[in-house]
Amino acid sequence: MTSDIILSMSHIRKEFPGVVALDDVSFRLQKGEVHILLGENGAGKSTLMKILSGAYGKDRGNIFLDGEETQILNPRHAQKLGIGIIYQEFNLNPHMTVAENIFLGREPVNRLGIIDEKKLNRTAREIIQDLGVNIDAGKKISEIGIARQQMVEVAKALSLNARILIMDEPSAPLTRNEITRLFEMIRRLAKRGVSIVYISHRMSEIYEIGDRVTVLRDGKNVGTRNIAEIDRRDLIRLMVNRDLDERYPSRTAEVGEEILRVEGLERKGVLTNINFRLHRGEILGIAGLMGSGRTELARAIYGVDPVSAGKIYVRNKLANINSPRKAIRLGMGFLTEDRKSEGLVLVLSVKENITVPSLHKYLKFGVLNFKRELETVNGYIESLSIKTPGANQMVINLSGGNQQKVVLSKWLCCQSDIFIFDEPTRGIDVGAKAEIYSLMNLLTSRGVAIIMISSELPEILGMSDRMLVMHKGSIAGELTREQANQEKIMEYAIGEHRNYN
Amino acid sequence: MMQIQNLRQFGTFIGLLALCLLFWILSPYFFTVSNLLNIAQQTSIIAILSVGMTFVIITAGIDLSIGSVLAFSGVVMASALHAGVPIPLAILVGLGVGYLSGTVNGLLISYGKLPPFIATLGMMSIARGLALWFTNGRPVSGFSDSFRFLATGDILFIPASVWVMVIVYLIAHFVLTRTKLGRYTYAIGGNEKAAILSGINVNRYKNIIYGLSGLLGGLGAVILTARLNSAQPIAGIMYELDAIAATVIGGTSLMGGQGTIFGTLVGALIIGVLRNGLNLLGVASFIQQIVIGAVIIGAILLDTQLKKQKE
Amino acid sequence: MKKLLLVSLSVLMLSVFWGCNREQFPGEPTVALVVKTLNNPFFMEMQRGAEDAATELKLNLVVQAAEREVDVEQQMQIIENLIQRRVDVLAITPSGSREIIPVISRANRNDIPVIIVDTRLDESLLESDGAHIATFIGSDNYEGGRLAGLYVGQRLNGSGKVAILEGIPGHETGDSRRLGFLKGIEQSSGIQVVTSQTANWERNLGYNVFENILQSYADVQAVFAANDLMALGAVEALSSNRRGGGEIIVVGFDAHSEALEAIRKGAMAATVAQHPYDMGRIALENAAKLLNGEEVPAEIPVRIELITIDTLPGL
Repeated sequence: MTSDIILSMSHIRKEFPGVVALDDVSFRLQKGEVHILLGENGAGKSTLMKILSGAYGKDRGNIFLDGEETQILNPRHAQKLGIGIIYQEFNLNPHMTVAENIFLGREPVNRLGIIDEKKLNRTAREIIQDLGVNIDAGKKISEIGIARQQMVEVAKALSLNARILIMDEPSAPLTRNEITRLFEMIRRLAKRGVSIVYISHRMSEIYEIGDRVTVLRDGKNVGTRNIAEIDRRDLIRLMVNRDLDERYPSRTAEVGEEILRVEGLERKGVLTNINFRLHRGEILGIAGLMGSGRTELARAIYGVDPVSAGKIYVRNKLANINSPRKAIRLGMGFLTEDRKSEGLVLVLSVKENITVPSLHKYLKFGVLNFKRELETVNGYIESLSIKTPGANQMVINLSGGNQQKVVLSKWLCCQSDIFIFDEPTRGIDVGAKAEIYSLMNLLTSRGVAIIMISSELPEILGMSDRMLVMHKGSIAGELTREQANQEKIMEYAIGEHRNYN
Repeated sequence: MMQIQNLRQFGTFIGLLALCLLFWILSPYFFTVSNLLNIAQQTSIIAILSVGMTFVIITAGIDLSIGSVLAFSGVVMASALHAGVPIPLAILVGLGVGYLSGTVNGLLISYGKLPPFIATLGMMSIARGLALWFTNGRPVSGFSDSFRFLATGDILFIPASVWVMVIVYLIAHFVLTRTKLGRYTYAIGGNEKAAILSGINVNRYKNIIYGLSGLLGGLGAVILTARLNSAQPIAGIMYELDAIAATVIGGTSLMGGQGTIFGTLVGALIIGVLRNGLNLLGVASFIQQIVIGAVIIGAILLDTQLKKQKE
Repeated sequence: MKKLLLVSLSVLMLSVFWGCNREQFPGEPTVALVVKTLNNPFFMEMQRGAEDAATELKLNLVVQAAEREVDVEQQMQIIENLIQRRVDVLAITPSGSREIIPVISRANRNDIPVIIVDTRLDESLLESDGAHIATFIGSDNYEGGRLAGLYVGQRLNGSGKVAILEGIPGHETGDSRRLGFLKGIEQSSGIQVVTSQTANWERNLGYNVFENILQSYADVQAVFAANDLMALGAVEALSSNRRGGGEIIVVGFDAHSEALEAIRKGAMAATVAQHPYDMGRIALENAAKLLNGEEVPAEIPVRIELITIDTLPGL
């Protein structure tokens, strides 16, 4: 790492109608460093990076590239200047090959103007090799996994001679192994002199990959530090400006009678012989690697996907759950992994989202009673402290944590007593996470049973009373809170051991 | 949602007022009671079709068959009238034919998993073919005065068809804002997956909504047949496009999940006022088409621009 | 948002003023001519005749048409709007012989005289609705069809197989032409009509329908199309099936300029010439008479004639 300043953004200000998104923010990036950009949702990280990558204009301030003042006109211009950005949602065409995607819009052509396929594939292979990853350039994007897709995005940016690479929460969709590979690649790039801006929430990663960190809070830069010189607690304090205990709230709920029993559940090719019980007041953690069938299990119980065999008993009664409607009637609520695409109707209001599954309660002779609906919804906004200007705000405008609370209210409103949380805190900032955890505790203390699927081992360990570890579509092991630790869970998850069925 | 939608609607409404003001200045014949009633009457058929279209488009669907369904319902009803079926019963037959055609669309889309564009495109051809086949291609003409009253008669100085339109709009507004069907329409269009996971029987509601669109096609046929004193198998050609235009001008998003009945009424009136005003001014027919196209594009540009600003 | 609104409004204003062709003679009466469509040369000729006459007679003229020929509802709306505008005389080529009648009654109630051009209204419905028109100006389509029928009979020496391409079913114009044609071929006992199908007045449908006819009735010897556009479609179908060059007798209707060209080249045998220019002219002349309080006859015939290679006007 050298200390050449490659980029300097100074006194940047950006306003949106009614909000100051960035207020006098300065940011300097050195050649070949991995610079973490940290902050709660809405702190201004994305806005700052969108200005850098030309997606937004700035209202005030200057940008210097290699010491020279530069106006970044649009995303294309930013690319030309050597600034590449990789968003959480990839910009890849799933029906085209890896090589075609890398060179989309600037395919090498021969003299006749026909695309030179050979050259296209050869150059793509070279770039991929150079990255030190193993991807078949001729495969379609839809045929490769999400981790490889991300590498293709990186390859695409590098093929444009990116000197500055912005990565927005790149590890979010990846498994631990994939993350390790991602980090190896990032280190190689940094060594070559590429500067990386790495946006993340995950504390452990920050210390693993970062050289320096800049913390934004409420649109202001509250400090840039060398990672080696700041500890976790200080970093969190800097971020949220309050002492925040990252530990999990203690579990005090008493485990009661059985509420759900699954016997011999099968779904051809996806789930095999699943057996477990769930009790009132209990949080049952489900761990496992990506693709081990955790979400599929939840979907099968909830009646989304058909099952080929097995029985489900709810409150000791055999239940035939063939649709989410049935599941809801039996008191289940499903908080999906992907809130935006499955959990919420983003263009509808907080109120409308919360009451969708329980709408019949507000009908009188088939007519909606707005007053009662609003009262109920306002009650949840207050008791869950959902940060929104009002019940009629579109949920698309809320932060991740508040969106999750809306989904939660939706099921509370139905008086559900079996909750399935799939990745309850994904994409949610530290402050909101703690709130979600205490809400889960509150629920269990009232006799609600929770199934919690999570990829974050600390979360599983910190919140579950009991945990099941899945491997290749079946349950590989069951652990109590006392027995469990990260190593044991991983052993079951990767198929080293089995102690179940 | 409320803010952006209100803003958008407000914009459209201002557009309508501006248009009226413009024609008022340019033509002494525009702002008269009889001309305004004339506009309302001329708009009524497209406006009624647009109500069904609004429901359909809010679910992120489309109904291309509505003009053909109108023609088919019309000729069946007209034949019933000619066969001596009492008027109320014949009207029910016409509405029933519309409802059934729409429900077939719904079934193809919900259980058949066909894209709405394809299903209704097929129905567009089928219903038109049925109408032509049923009548041998000839119009069915000549009805009693009491039937024709539905389009030509006045009730309290206002044409009967305008009353029908007003009642349909009041009911539709009520259904869309205050009933389960309405709320689910938005939820399905906004995010179908989330709707299913929230326990909504999406297939069932799609059938109802496309059926409703067909039913309103049948109602349009009643008024059109009464107005022309004739049910033509070639009636309603491209009405679906006018209905889509009115709906979209009125702020309903083709992406689904957003839209209002009031906005659609304003959209339909904008098209009606434009046609009327340009006729009054004696603008050449070809230019009229250009202007109407420009207004549709302008309205949508306004919409996308607003959304951009919002971001 | 305001900017855009302004832009779209100004575009609108501009096109409105640009398109405004009213009040050529301020203070003089206005006559409105509403035709079926303006993308058919027949009606463009009619418009030209009306415009020439209007200039000579110092009358203001407004010509309007629906976007689609078959859209009688829109034609009705246009007429309603023109009644609102208080034009002094309405000249109409109806898109529907029956459907348009309610709006004629409305013109009657507003004391606006109505001249019907080219397409006859349904007499009995007109009567039962109590509507009345000042005059009908048009050629006798039935007579034109009969002339075509006689000609086909002659050319086939009294026997042979014939196909008919009809206009939109239920249109008075097309029906009269077809019935006239059937009357004309009655003279020759050996002529057989093998098929009679509609091609909706359209050229491309004329092509498609006649191509199908050629498949199923390969031995057809003559075709009568109720207008030239369909006849020209049939001519194209023949040439793409390598049966062009006059082997099959094609007779059209309207004396469309392309049809005349086809006759000169021998691809078509004959067409029936109506004179739409004259119709437009006569409509305006009679409108002027009505405005002066003069009497006009209930029916004014416009000349009609059969054009073959022998009677082709010099080009």
